[in-house]
Amino acid sequence: MEKEELAPHVSEISRVLRGKVEESEIWKELDTYLNHYRVSLETAKRGIVKKFGGDPSELMRGIRKPIQQLGLNEQSVDILAKVITVNEKDIEVDGKQKSILYGIIGDDSGTIPYTAWEADRYPLRRGEVVLIRNAYTKEWGGQPQVNLGTRASVEQQPEESVKLPEGMPRAFPDAGEVKMSELQENMGGVTVTARILSLEKREVDVSGEKRIVHSGILADETGKVQFSAWYDFELKPNDLITIRGAYVRGWRGIPQLNFGERSQVTRTNIRFPSGADLAKPKTRSIGDLEKVGGGIDVLVRGTVVEVRKGSGLVFRCPECNRVVQKSSCRVHGSVQAQPDLRIKAVVDDGIATMTGVINRKLTESIMRMSLEESMRLAKEAMDPNVILEKIDERLFAQPIELEGNVTSDEYGLMMIVSSARVSVPEVRDEAGSLLNQLEESE
Amino acid sequence: MMKREVAWRVFAAEYNSSSLEIKGEEERAPSYIITPLGAMINRLFVIGVMTDVENVGTTEEPMWRGRISDPTGTFYVSAGQYQPEAALAMSKIKPPAFIAVVGKSRTYSPEEGTIYVSIRPERIAAVDERMRDHWVLETCKLTLERISALEDALEMEVPSAEEMVKLGHGKSLAEGVVKSLQHYQGLELDRYRTMVVDALRYLIPEYRTEAEAPQSVAEVPEEIEDEEKEDIDKEEKVLGIIDKLDKKGKGAPWDEIVEETGKSGIDKSELEELTNSLLDKGLIYEPVLGKMKRI
Repeated sequence: MEKEELAPHVSEISRVLRGKVEESEIWKELDTYLNHYRVSLETAKRGIVKKFGGDPSELMRGIRKPIQQLGLNEQSVDILAKVITVNEKDIEVDGKQKSILYGIIGDDSGTIPYTAWEADRYPLRRGEVVLIRNAYTKEWGGQPQVNLGTRASVEQQPEESVKLPEGMPRAFPDAGEVKMSELQENMGGVTVTARILSLEKREVDVSGEKRIVHSGILADETGKVQFSAWYDFELKPNDLITIRGAYVRGWRGIPQLNFGERSQVTRTNIRFPSGADLAKPKTRSIGDLEKVGGGIDVLVRGTVVEVRKGSGLVFRCPECNRVVQKSSCRVHGSVQAQPDLRIKAVVDDGIATMTGVINRKLTESIMRMSLEESMRLAKEAMDPNVILEKIDERLFAQPIELEGNVTSDEYGLMMIVSSARVSVPEVRDEAGSLLNQLEESE
Repeated sequence: MMKREVAWRVFAAEYNSSSLEIKGEEERAPSYIITPLGAMINRLFVIGVMTDVENVGTTEEPMWRGRISDPTGTFYVSAGQYQPEAALAMSKIKPPAFIAVVGKSRTYSPEEGTIYVSIRPERIAAVDERMRDHWVLETCKLTLERISALEDALEMEVPSAEEMVKLGHGKSLAEGVVKSLQHYQGLELDRYRTMVVDALRYLIPEYRTEAEAPQSVAEVPEEIEDEEKEDIDKEEKVLGIIDKLDKKGKGAPWDEIVEETGKSGIDKSELEELTNSLLDKGLIYEPVLGKMKRI
């Protein structure tokens, strides 16, 4: 790595070590770690900080985000921004007076409120550009807010390093009127019109406080979404409502709609599909689901491009239901494992890809083979893998239609399948109409 | 662990026209072949007819090679000792057969600037004709989507992946289209549109050619005979050129054949058809990928 590229890392280590160690010394150390021991930059920095008695967690974790991309729950984030307003306020914490700073910062992507919990630690002055390191965000009314806690630091930067656009937009422009299929984690200012398909009242514990939440499922012609209303709007099943000022949170990627006291709910009387129509699963493309992170009760079409290992005959721990190897559960030790059938199929439509997890009942019906029959075949062959091979023979390269709920994580999309159909669609009619279209446009 | 690479659907004619490869620079970073229509292929899914398969290695260290043809051309597939399951599956195939392959894109570059593409299968299995037809239709639709993405990009002053995503195109296609425009000169979108039209006709019985529908031959016999005769003349010409260029007896290099036949007014796609026909007739074979030799 070039010297100028390393320079910011050296000054960062020096910052974390509070200048206890000469920069020339840090240069030497960094060089040894990187060029002699050939460890990664991240490892080298942690090692050096540790060696000189510093706290490696103060090192920047390398994530700098534009304000627009801040999530509701960032643990450690760096922000380069211009201080737009600074206000001071005295608060009481554990019986002691203490002053904090709050206001707004902005970059070219947007603006965001901040709170600095120790006024004297942070040199925040109006109009200056600063690099805030190790800040965190919390959600307030569906929007993120930046917090500077004890781990945070503030470095002054040249003023020209941040340019605010004219007519500064808000960090999270209101999403405005959207359809169910367009809802995405972290959206705020959402307006939707939908029918309530189901509704229940629950008591939940929000940071030690009991609150009533009205939750259920909302639907429009594009799909269904789970919702939580944090205020009693006197909702009833089958109501057709317009909600303004709602916000979206994600659960394993699935967008969920939230609204409360500050939102408005009105009943409308427009033409709208009936509850029965809305109850049917809606077709979504895998790429579309990837964009928003997931969805409930969707129908997806694709082709099985792989039947993953771990499909077929598996054995589960009777205590925790985990799949066990050689009758030994990694939590409960040696157990009387229970046989089960499942399929993990990679379904791909040429644009995006998803894993479908298919349970015993559906596996039995796709394979036209019961669990008992599978056990018998596996015993005959003295190899449970024969079932995996049979599933692979049946499903590989097959067009498939799956229904279920789709979640996502860093490995991609996963559907817990509730219904599956394996069949090759007839192509002639579609080919004919596509051909007509092409010939007409020529 | 990284996100799984999508299995692209492309026709052989598009895949084989690729001359741009992006190699992953970091360890384990994936490599991609960028096709002229902007598909960014690390993995692909093909269904076609396996027309021949042979072991070009030894019994101990087998290397199975095969050709899979689709309505537009031929995919080259090879599996060796590091793909034991695919190699075993290939050894059992009796051509001709409908075959589905999921595999990784591979390139072979005998010299700077020349790239031959092939498929290294992860999974290969026999399927039926209906599944093949379904693949052809899907590939038509996805090819049209790439054509329209390219048209969108061509309208931009400075094509950017970001703007393409805003228009609703997928992220990797957006990136691939921009890379394609930087690399390929004079893209013939019409050629690909015609390719899709031909592939769609292939799916509709009324358009089937003489081999499968003899009654249509009776209606226009002369024309077809003429065409056939002309083709045979051209095939003779290509055969002669392959002979001439095969100086060391190891086969004639493909790019030299392209150049030489080009002088006689045979363009690359026509040449591909002619060599496919010659391959089918058993008059030539491919001793190594990228070389043709007379039998």
